[in-house]
Amino acid sequence: MPEQLGEYRRIAVLGGVYSNALALEATLADARARGVEAVFCLGDMGGFGPHPDRVFPLLREHAVLAIQGNYDESLASGRTDCGCGYTDPRDNHFAAISYRYTLEGTSTENKAWLGALPRHRRLKLGPHRVLMCHGSPRVINEFLWESATPNGLLRHLMERAEVDVMLCTHTGIKWHRALPDARHAVNVGVIGRPENDGRTNVWYTVLTAGPDLAVEFVPVTYDHETLAREMEREGLPAEFAETVRTGWWTTCLENLPARERARGKY
Amino acid sequence: MLGRMTPRFDRIVLNEAAAPVAPAPRAPFLGLATLWVQITGTWCNLECRHCINASGPRTPWLKPLDGETIRRAIREAEALGVKEIYFTGGEPFLHREILPLLERALEAAPTTVLTNGTLIGPERADALAALAARAPYSLEIRVSLDDPDRARNDAIRGEGVWEKAVEAVRLLKARGLLPIVTATEITADAHPGPGGMQARFRDFLREQGVERPRLKIMPVFALGRQPASDQPPLTEEDLEGFDRSLLQCADARVVAAGGVYACPILAGLPGARLSAGSLAESLRSAPLYHPACVTCHRTGMTCRNS
Repeated sequence: MPEQLGEYRRIAVLGGVYSNALALEATLADARARGVEAVFCLGDMGGFGPHPDRVFPLLREHAVLAIQGNYDESLASGRTDCGCGYTDPRDNHFAAISYRYTLEGTSTENKAWLGALPRHRRLKLGPHRVLMCHGSPRVINEFLWESATPNGLLRHLMERAEVDVMLCTHTGIKWHRALPDARHAVNVGVIGRPENDGRTNVWYTVLTAGPDLAVEFVPVTYDHETLAREMEREGLPAEFAETVRTGWWTTCLENLPARERARGKY
Repeated sequence: MLGRMTPRFDRIVLNEAAAPVAPAPRAPFLGLATLWVQITGTWCNLECRHCINASGPRTPWLKPLDGETIRRAIREAEALGVKEIYFTGGEPFLHREILPLLERALEAAPTTVLTNGTLIGPERADALAALAARAPYSLEIRVSLDDPDRARNDAIRGEGVWEKAVEAVRLLKARGLLPIVTATEITADAHPGPGGMQARFRDFLREQGVERPRLKIMPVFALGRQPASDQPPLTEEDLEGFDRSLLQCADARVVAAGGVYACPILAGLPGARLSAGSLAESLRSAPLYHPACVTCHRTGMTCRNS
């Protein structure tokens, strides 16, 4: 049965909330002020930040249309790890602390809500057929970094999905590629933590339909100092709070390709 | 360029089972994510004690590839939506065309070269840095080093190798490249305590001035120059409830002399050969027939960078 697609002209898309309720609130307010018709979230509501249950009322009150990320899938199914697939013991050490904290701090009701989220969404943005996914259309935890995602792969994925625009997140760093055949791939970034550039703001994306697609990355500032203090009070690792305060990633660096890794401090 | 070479398949050196008793279980093929190019076959300037394909400086049993075969494979892989390309051997920097071939690969996809580091001096490091800067995608350089300790490393990889490999890491780092130091667990017993080899390597690299250490540590495979495994090959029963799509042969193929093979560990072995040269024809399920398949199944290892 053909899927009934929602039709929009202007939408906001965010990824990787990572329990950052303060950034989520600021992002939703910013998006509303820009006159978007709907707000979408590409998954990973928890992990990294404090008080995991705080983001869910915001997502529901603001009718955010979400899909499932690997973290959501892990929490909903009671997996023992976040599913990021690290092999470096240091990355795994921090990932395990964060996951255990989030698993314990997420209510049964919210886990069930995560479990009921779809893995993909399709919609029309003006003339453009859009596919939303978390990692990639084929694998929920596939990393699509800008310097490690070739045009040939993007074309292949979008041809198979029969779409003109593909939106993803998961890596934590935004990028946009307009392909020669007028297709677009956008990694919408994350609002849960800064993107390893020494700045404390986070990013989301506004997409506007037209003859061509307009892609606007929007920086969001929020009270990151309060977030860092809450993380410390909750006993989360000092390395996480350092990232929030400095804008440099301190953990989970293993999967960064050479080019993205070279831009960071660690 | 390469001198006279006679291809030779040595069943004993490569530990390929002589005759499987039952049909091997198979790994499904999902799509070509990773293309490996066995660019120099088993031709290498070193002769490491644990080399998985018994590479060395004498007549290689697996011949190097010519540039045109590699360009054709890259073209084919690009059309199939490949995500990453890897060059391995042998020692890739022995190949006369390595730099133009890396450049061509980088037009198609992010590309990694696995090297022992001994042939990377200042000029080559400059050329690699220039290549990385103008490429659309990341160039990754994996430098093999088996132990931070000179004597322990050289006992495995050869006299003087530690010095050259560490110098390569320093030269690359000084040019803004971030090589991935790649080790096997062959000296793991020498690194007990918290963090084990990972921690020792990370500390060592920091001492060398590498602020952003990158590491890849792999299990030792019982093939090539290592003693053969007496472990029986995988059976259907072993794989019950296991997600076979996690095996690297589910989305990788290797172009090497003689055809296209299921995985980089088994490149050149007749049992792992899936086509005579066409990538498209090799995109089918692969037999999990070799004792090395047991290691992949047990450890979940991948030869990819991460």
